[in-house]
Amino acid sequence: MRVLMICTEKLPVPAVKGGAIQTYISGVLPHLSFYHEITVLGIEDPSLEKDEIRDNVRYVRIPGKIFDLYKEGVIKFLENHPDSFDIIHIFNRPRLVLPVRSLATNARIILSMHNDMFHSEKIPADEACQVIEEVESIITVSDYVGYEIKALFPQAATKLNTIYSGVDTERFLPGNDARMENTRKKVRKDYGLENKTVLLFAGRLSNNKGADRLIRALPILAKKFKNLALVLVGSNWFSENHVTDFVAYIRALAKRQAVPVITTGFVHPDEIQNWYAAADLFICSSVWQEPLARVHYEAMAAGLPIVTTARGGNPEVIIEGENGLIVRDPENPESFAKAISQILSDKTLMKKMGENSRKLAVSLYKWERVAEDILSVWE
Amino acid sequence: MKSLEILPWAADETELMRDDLYVPEYIQYIALAVLKQYDFSVRCMNVVATKPKKGGAIWKVETSEGPKSLKLLHRRPGRSIFSLGAQEYLCDVKKARVPPIVKTKDGQKCVLAGGKIWFVAEWIDSLTPAPPDLEGAKQLCYGLGEFHRLSKNYQAPLNAEIASRVRKWEKTYQKMLMKMDWFRNIAKAYNDMPASEPLLQAVELFEPHAKAALEKLQNSPYRKLLQYEDSHWGLVHQDYGWSNGQLGKGGVWIIDLDGVSYDLPVRDLRKLISGIMLDSLNWNTDWLRELIRAYHEANPLSKELYEMLMIEFSLPNEFYRNVKELGYNPELFLNESTAAMIEQIIQQDKTKWPALKEIANDWKDVKTSK
Repeated sequence: MRVLMICTEKLPVPAVKGGAIQTYISGVLPHLSFYHEITVLGIEDPSLEKDEIRDNVRYVRIPGKIFDLYKEGVIKFLENHPDSFDIIHIFNRPRLVLPVRSLATNARIILSMHNDMFHSEKIPADEACQVIEEVESIITVSDYVGYEIKALFPQAATKLNTIYSGVDTERFLPGNDARMENTRKKVRKDYGLENKTVLLFAGRLSNNKGADRLIRALPILAKKFKNLALVLVGSNWFSENHVTDFVAYIRALAKRQAVPVITTGFVHPDEIQNWYAAADLFICSSVWQEPLARVHYEAMAAGLPIVTTARGGNPEVIIEGENGLIVRDPENPESFAKAISQILSDKTLMKKMGENSRKLAVSLYKWERVAEDILSVWE
Repeated sequence: MKSLEILPWAADETELMRDDLYVPEYIQYIALAVLKQYDFSVRCMNVVATKPKKGGAIWKVETSEGPKSLKLLHRRPGRSIFSLGAQEYLCDVKKARVPPIVKTKDGQKCVLAGGKIWFVAEWIDSLTPAPPDLEGAKQLCYGLGEFHRLSKNYQAPLNAEIASRVRKWEKTYQKMLMKMDWFRNIAKAYNDMPASEPLLQAVELFEPHAKAALEKLQNSPYRKLLQYEDSHWGLVHQDYGWSNGQLGKGGVWIIDLDGVSYDLPVRDLRKLISGIMLDSLNWNTDWLRELIRAYHEANPLSKELYEMLMIEFSLPNEFYRNVKELGYNPELFLNESTAAMIEQIIQQDKTKWPALKEIANDWKDVKTSK
C-alpha cells in the first residue's frame, strides 16, 4: 500500500534532534518500509534534504515550527499529490485530520496519539468529534492516553488501540553485557563513580519531572547507604544561556548535598545508552500525569531496576516487584527514599529486577513488535 | 549572509564582559549586513542596551535619514514577528504613540539574520521620563490605558507565533505557589545564611496569601471572561513603567514592545501600581484610587476587570518579585541586606490589606462586561 506518514511541526524525522514521536517513527520505519511504499512528510532541518529517498522511504520536508504554517504546507503537498495514498497516518495532530480529509476523500486516516492533544485547550470539541468520526483508528502510546480521550469523547472508545512504544535493544544494553562493559567502566571512571551505587534520572529538568524530589530524598538515603551518587541526565543543566528557574533551584539544592549529584548537561541521543549502562538503578520521578515516558523502555533494555511514579501511563510498563516499584505519592521525597531503599537493601531482589527488565524489553518492547502492531492496524 | 546562529553571550569568558555594552564581533558584523538592506547610509552606530543572557541588543544609528534604532530581538523569530506586527498595527492603523518601523529596501518590516529577527525603527529623540510624583504616575496609568484600548483586536500575521497569557492565569498563580515551596526548601538547605530565617518567616506569611489568591481566582468571573477571543482584550506590554513609558509629543510614548502578549489588561496595571506602591514605601488609598481612575479614563474597567485587578493585588507580588531569582546564587543572595529587604516587604505588606479593603467596593455600581 501507499502510505503517507505526517509528522508534527516541532522536530525533524529522522530524529536528529531527538523527540519521543520522532524516535518512535524512526524506530518503526525500517520495518514498515519493508512491506509498504512509504512517504514521510515532516519539517525541514538544515542537516537534511528537502526531498530525498533514504533507506527505501521518501522524505518530504516543509517549513514547520508554527502549526498554521505547517498545516498550509501539508495542504499544499496533498493538493500536489491527489489520490496518491491509500493510508494517511497522522501523528499527534488531530487538528490536521479535517484539512487532510478534505483533500484525500478516499484515503483511510489513522491517527496516533502521544499526549493530550484532544484536550479542550488544544482542539475545539466540535472539531474533535468530527476528527473521531473521520479517522479509522486511534493508536495511543499508553492506556492512559486512551482513557483520557475516552473520558472526553466516549464515542472514540471503539477506535482506540494502545500500541506501546519500543527501544533498540541492541543499542541499549546492560552494563554487564560484553559489548558495554568497557563503556560502563569508562563512564564511571570519567565521572568519579567507580565505587558508587549510581541512581540515574534521565529527562527534562523541569518541575513536572520531579528531579528536585530525588535530590531532597538524598539526605534520607545517605543515612542508610554509603557511596551513593545521583546522576541527572538532562539537557538544560550546564548551559548558562538557558538556566531556567527550576534548574537554578535544583542546582542550589544539589550543592548542599553530602551525596554527589552529577549532572551531565546535554547528551547526544546517540550516546545516551552509555549512561544507562553506567547506572545501577533508574528512577522516573514524574509528578505530572505523563503519557508514558520513553525512558522506561530504555532503562528496561539496559537491565535496570526501575522506580517510577503512579502518574499517567508510567506504571503500565512496570510489573511491581518484578522489574521495579511504583511510588504512589511522588510529591513527597520520602516516598522515593522508601522505594529506593527497598531495592538497594536487597541485592538479590535488585539483581532479579534488572534481569526481568531486560527480559521484558527484549520480549515486549522491540521496534519490530511496535511495527507489527502498526501493520496490523494498517492491514 | 553567513548562516551563523546568534547565541547569548553572557557566558563568554572575556574581559570585555565587564562592559555592559559589549556585543560579540560576529553580531556586529551581522548588524552591518542587516543595515545594508535599508535605504539610508550609516554615519555612526553605538550600542545603547544589551541583554547578554538572552542575546538581544539595541543600537542607536545615525543615518542619512536621521537617527534610528536598530534592534536584535532575542526571542524566537515567530514570537518576534507577533510583536513587530503589533507595533506596526498600533502605529499605522491606530496612530498610537509608538516608534514607527522603518521598512527595508524591499518593503519588509524586519530582517531575519543569524536566526533572529532584526528591525529598524525611528529614534524618538525628545522623550523625557514622567515626573516621579503622583501626577507623573497618573500620566503613566493613563498612557497605559490608551495603549491597551488601541491594541484591542490586533490580529497577528499567519507566520507569527501567537503570544497569549489570557488563558494562563491559573497556571501563573500555581507557579507562584509552587515557588513558595522552592524558597522554603532553599532556605532550609542554606540555614546558616543570614537571610534564611527571615525568608522562612516570609514564606510562612506569604504562601497562604498565594493560596488564597488562587482560590479567589478560581471563584472569580475569570472563566466567564475567557469566552471572548484573546484579541478582544488587547495586548499587555509586560514591562511597562517609568522607562518604557515616557512623555513626548502628544502624551505618553510607549517603547520596547518586544514582549507584548494578549492578556487581560489589568495585569500591566497591577504591575505598574504595585511597583509605585513599593517605591513609596506604603500602600496609600488615595494614590491607589487616583491611579486606577486615571487608567479608567483611558480604558474603562468593567466590574469584572476591577475584580480581577483586586485579585492580582492580593498575590504576594512584591515579595515574589524580589526573591524569585534566589535559586541562581543563594550563597550571595541570602545576605544581611536581603534579610533587611524581606523585613521591609513584610512591614509594607501590613499597609496593603487595609488599603485594598477600602477600595474593594469602589466599582460596585460600575456596569458589567458587555
